[in-house]
Amino acid sequence: MNTVVVTNVVKSYGRHRALDGLSFTAGPGVTGLLGPNGAGKTTLIRMLATVLAADSGTLRLLGRDPSAERLQIRRRLGYLPQEPGFHRAFTVFEFVDYVAILKEIVDRRARHDEVRRVIAEVGLAEVSGKRIRALSGGMRRRVGIAQALLGEPELVLLDEPTAGLDPEQRLRFRELISRIGENRTVVLSTHQTEDVAALCGRVVVFDGGRCMFEGTPEELRRVAEGQVWLSAERSGVLSWRTGEGLFRNIGQAPDAARLAEPTIEDGYLLLLGDAAVGVRS
Amino acid sequence: MTEWHVDDELATRYSGGALGGTAAASVEAHLLACERCRGSVATAVPEERLRKMWGEIAEAVDAPVPGPFERLLRLVGINEPTARLLAAAYSLRLPWLAANAVALLFAVLAAGIDDRWGLLWFLAVAPVLPVAGVALAFGRGADPAYEIGLAAPYSAFRLMLARAAAVLVTSAGPAFAAGFALLGRDWAVVAWLLPALALTALTLVLSSRFEPAPSGAVLSLLWLAGVAAFAVRDEPLAMFGTAGQVTALTVVLVSAALLFLRRDRYQSEDSR
Repeated sequence: MNTVVVTNVVKSYGRHRALDGLSFTAGPGVTGLLGPNGAGKTTLIRMLATVLAADSGTLRLLGRDPSAERLQIRRRLGYLPQEPGFHRAFTVFEFVDYVAILKEIVDRRARHDEVRRVIAEVGLAEVSGKRIRALSGGMRRRVGIAQALLGEPELVLLDEPTAGLDPEQRLRFRELISRIGENRTVVLSTHQTEDVAALCGRVVVFDGGRCMFEGTPEELRRVAEGQVWLSAERSGVLSWRTGEGLFRNIGQAPDAARLAEPTIEDGYLLLLGDAAVGVRS
Repeated sequence: MTEWHVDDELATRYSGGALGGTAAASVEAHLLACERCRGSVATAVPEERLRKMWGEIAEAVDAPVPGPFERLLRLVGINEPTARLLAAAYSLRLPWLAANAVALLFAVLAAGIDDRWGLLWFLAVAPVLPVAGVALAFGRGADPAYEIGLAAPYSAFRLMLARAAAVLVTSAGPAFAAGFALLGRDWAVVAWLLPALALTALTLVLSSRFEPAPSGAVLSLLWLAGVAAFAVRDEPLAMFGTAGQVTALTVVLVSAALLFLRRDRYQSEDSR
């Protein structure tokens, strides 16, 4: 059964349409929402988190209608916003404990056990008594994931969880998120194709609030099959110099070019078309 | 070294918590020096008891230490989870409460220096303090974990009301005490109360559509401008007379009704 079913959803801010008839589904495992900045990823994640409602279209989350059963959904939901705020004077334990109360885990002893469990799950047990303001950005992001795991939610929403992390931290995050996705539905938004390749069983590419592709990362890679070329000269707009001194061109074959094996990024860039120029630069 | 050792039966009774104080202390003293007995006792401890003991140790080490305000809330009977949620608000922490007290002190001192204008100063400032506190108690700008809280099952409306009530009590309580203690028992020293409730209730109503901090700031400025306008016309206490009190009471009642009717709007960001 699909945990998330989004059908023809529209959301506007004034005259700007953030989501324009978007449809997709997500089930158990990790689903990546891939799109450039401004594609509507955060609007969609906030909608899935029941923080925003759609102007039109339908959403089914965990088999329920968020407009009528918001509370029941929230009890089974974990959410890491794009910019999670922290009470910085709180320790890690105090902050996660605070969110645990908001998640209605009232019994003090049971709550503290649950707080310890999620802190250990994200590998922060040794700094649970440290103030959040003293933690690195990567550690704070892990605190954010810890609070999202409280109460063993069936649906976990992560908005750009790897943004701003260095390569080592990103690697640790991928390991953590793939573990989380083993027994629940995780929907994460990202503009990093590497995250999708490393983590996601399914990927939804969207831009301008519309779904451009829905399938597996391998299917996304195959979108660019037969359309990626290596040549000595630059050709077209989607073209850049590789470390080997050749130009990698996506789209029409340039003169004297040889076909190259596509990557997920190639498929993504091909789907985005003109919008990809901004992504690539 | 002693030839006496902890036998199986003693190890089982000790590890099961069945030994009395002196006997248990003797076993413990021996265990400190005897590795062999430590090994036999360790294997005899029931897993459930071990887990419980570790849990108690972890609880003693990890459990958050409540701050002074949270302890005060617990003392007056507020349950632990609610006390924690209230104490996290910026305007319910010691620095804000201290600033609140200082502002109030100056207002009361001013009132003591000059009967008419000083009292006006006190009556004008007293309603602004709870409004400022309420405006800084919740909302995106004041609560760093606002977005996380909004997606959590705990009602955002309930949290807002609970914090507003706590702010009102912590602001109004000292204002009452200061007014009566330093300015006498004249009705005028409580004439600020209904305007304070009206401004606070209006701030809460506007929060379904706007951020509470700017809403509170605008309302406070309008209030002070209104008080100043009457003062310029040489009617400094006109806003606190019967007409003013009736108006404030009406605003309170209408705002309360609006809050009730629009309570669902505080649970998401759709109306903003």
